[in-house]
Amino acid sequence: MKVNIHLNKRVAIIGAGMTLFRRRLLETPQEIAWEASNKALEEAGLELKDIDCVVIGSAPDAFDGVHLKGEYLAHGSGGIKKPVSRVFVGGATGVMTAIAGWYHVASGLCQKVLAVAEEKMSPDRPHPQAVFRYIWDPILEKPLNPNLIWIFAMEMHRYMAKYGIKKEEIALVSVKNKRNAINNPYAQLGANITVEDVLNSEVLVWPVQLLDVSPVSDGGAAIVMTSEDVARRYTDTPIWVEGVGWTLDNTEWPGRDLAYPRYVEFAARMAYKMAGIERPDKEIDVVEPYDPFDYKELHHLEGLLLAKKGEAPKLLKEGVFDIDGDIPSSPSGGLLGVGNPIAAAGLMKVISIYWQLKGTAGKMQVKRPVHTGLAQAWGDLMQAGTVIVLRN
Amino acid sequence: MSWEKVGRDGKLLRWYDVMEVEKYEYTVGPAGEQFFNGLKQNKIIGSKCPKCGKVFVPARLYCEECFIKIENYVEIDANEVYVDSYTIIYKDDEGNKLQNPVYIALIRFKNAKGGLLCYADGNVRPGAKAKIVSFDWPLKVKVD
Repeated sequence: MKVNIHLNKRVAIIGAGMTLFRRRLLETPQEIAWEASNKALEEAGLELKDIDCVVIGSAPDAFDGVHLKGEYLAHGSGGIKKPVSRVFVGGATGVMTAIAGWYHVASGLCQKVLAVAEEKMSPDRPHPQAVFRYIWDPILEKPLNPNLIWIFAMEMHRYMAKYGIKKEEIALVSVKNKRNAINNPYAQLGANITVEDVLNSEVLVWPVQLLDVSPVSDGGAAIVMTSEDVARRYTDTPIWVEGVGWTLDNTEWPGRDLAYPRYVEFAARMAYKMAGIERPDKEIDVVEPYDPFDYKELHHLEGLLLAKKGEAPKLLKEGVFDIDGDIPSSPSGGLLGVGNPIAAAGLMKVISIYWQLKGTAGKMQVKRPVHTGLAQAWGDLMQAGTVIVLRN
Repeated sequence: MSWEKVGRDGKLLRWYDVMEVEKYEYTVGPAGEQFFNGLKQNKIIGSKCPKCGKVFVPARLYCEECFIKIENYVEIDANEVYVDSYTIIYKDDEGNKLQNPVYIALIRFKNAKGGLLCYADGNVRPGAKAKIVSFDWPLKVKVD
């Protein structure tokens, strides 16, 4: 049963482009955005003059060290003399960029939209983690000098404690994603590692170890989204956006259940309703959950209703989420393997699903035939969930 | 009751903090490298779009109109420089009066798109021909 909202236009993705994800790219942020945008336009077979509107997604301005980053990136994203929107919901920005591109087209306002996400985290010295120092409540949390890693260590610990999950089970995510990333030409950290390697890596803050977390990266990603009639003219294999969902939760994270990402569930339910999906665990063929930490992928798979609460580690061990499993998860290699330039990482997940459904994922292509895919991102103070469902 | 009048340090009514990364390290990018290496040899380097023929100063990696990559770096005639606009600064950031007012000019080049901000000196006026006297960044120009 589909949701009863009137969509002016059905929306398709017809082109995608990415830059390499690397630790320190020499290119300026504008040049990174240009490279991704240019590749996306090339794949779509469009020129810049055909684009009606540019949507830009980028996380805090403090990463690139340029305020008004949306305006700054507009130059490299082809936004000169065009309407430009910028969206920003922390780490969830990447998928939100695709969602914003979707509603520009679905509303009937635009026919062809270029959605670009870019992040350059390397200008910050000594470490971009310093930018995250200012996302907390300045009085209740800031005096403890929190950083993201130890906040998520607490979330991870709660998740482990509530369901009796062991570190060994969670480490399997890192092993799987870095292995998948070997097949991804854009990846920063593809590797064949073992659970022992993860457990022997440096402890950053217990229970988070070095190989449990994604790296700091620079990179860009872009997609071209068009209305149905335009898409039919340019390609035989458009990938349709069937459902979108986005949610914010309470910013006061101590007031929330840390063991379950309900904000992802709400966003997922919204997207499922729109796409007419009633049994996500049976209907979703391939999934790209957001995995800045390895436990987070399991967390999000539960939030996406693809596993029962606390059971994602069990299914992972059984191989359900492997590249040849029932619901391949992060076939691209995810943030753990490909890299994590915040906004670009989310859009990279959307692009990965796009490739899988189009059948152009090359070595990353999953074994089973796929028709419905889902990409998800998460961000802010563990409170924003964004979900997009695609079909071929 | 305004909050300025109550609360002293240590009364838990105010918190102080700073909000910056310690420092930023920006890369100039491939086109920027061409431009800044050119300055070392007293040259102004621009780049020419192979499709529309526009020349950009400073050099750019891509054309913003045609959206294609530019690999053709060209030297701009550094003698054909004019002042597009200028301003005079009398006080520093803290509001202290400067001993000598500072002239900042936007200079443009013949047949090139874009411009450079630089320190200026002499009888500065819009449209005047200028001469680059120092190629250290930021540039210095002199107007007769």
